[in-house]
Amino acid sequence: MLHATTLILSLILFSAVVIGVLIARPAITATRGGKILAFVAMFCLPIFCGLLGVSREMGRSKSTAFCLSCHTMEDYGKSLYVDDPTHIPASHFQNHRVPPDEACYSCHTSYAMFGGLKVKLYGLKHVAVYYLGTPPAPENIKLYEPYNNRECLHCHLGAKSFEEGATHNADPATLPAIKSNQLSCISSGCHDVAHDLAHLKDAKFWKAGT
Amino acid sequence: MLTVNQLEKRRQVAGVLIVLGLVIEALCLIWSTPIAFVIFVAIGGLFMFAGIVLFLYSLVFNLEARE
Repeated sequence: MLHATTLILSLILFSAVVIGVLIARPAITATRGGKILAFVAMFCLPIFCGLLGVSREMGRSKSTAFCLSCHTMEDYGKSLYVDDPTHIPASHFQNHRVPPDEACYSCHTSYAMFGGLKVKLYGLKHVAVYYLGTPPAPENIKLYEPYNNRECLHCHLGAKSFEEGATHNADPATLPAIKSNQLSCISSGCHDVAHDLAHLKDAKFWKAGT
Repeated sequence: MLTVNQLEKRRQVAGVLIVLGLVIEALCLIWSTPIAFVIFVAIGGLFMFAGIVLFLYSLVFNLEARE
């Protein structure tokens, strides 16, 4: 990812230098070659650089570090290190059930059509609230809509542990209810421990890499 | 009718606007925070858009001046 940024920065520098030459010596554009150069430097290259930049920023906005860069999200970041297998975000993060560098995005995106765009717009709203409004206390942050099983099933559907799990099959109606989003995965008594910020100060933490 | 100098002046202004947009984009790529993306799109994008439009506008006027 660092290489991608370096490449884009190199292209930006190259474009800026070429445009700088055209600004300093506008007479260059009098020739046919100069006109072509001006068109490439002042139309094609800036658009290309812009698109690459947007793509790079979009990719970066999926990263765990990006989400946790806001102070409000600090406790949510800590909750990923709770040493408790029943703690769903922590067990997913620590066991790499989601890519650790895109942990937040993997579970909090919407795996529906335009779902990615929808969450990016939510993200812009978060930025606006963070810088222009009053961010809520971490424990008061709520999801925009009830967590949809679709996000869990994006990975778990068809998996042996999910399809043949004893609890999921204890009642024949359970599995179809989960798959149709009638019974939430995070229902009380099921996988109901998400980011348990209230008990974070008493939690035992996993020390990654030790 | 526009003179050659006026056309060159417009292209120079367009070039400056585009370079400013590119500089903002570069800074936002280095400064990795959520607000950087907003600045990149809102301010950098605006500069680049204005520069490109002004450049294209100068091309159109150049063609008209020839006719």
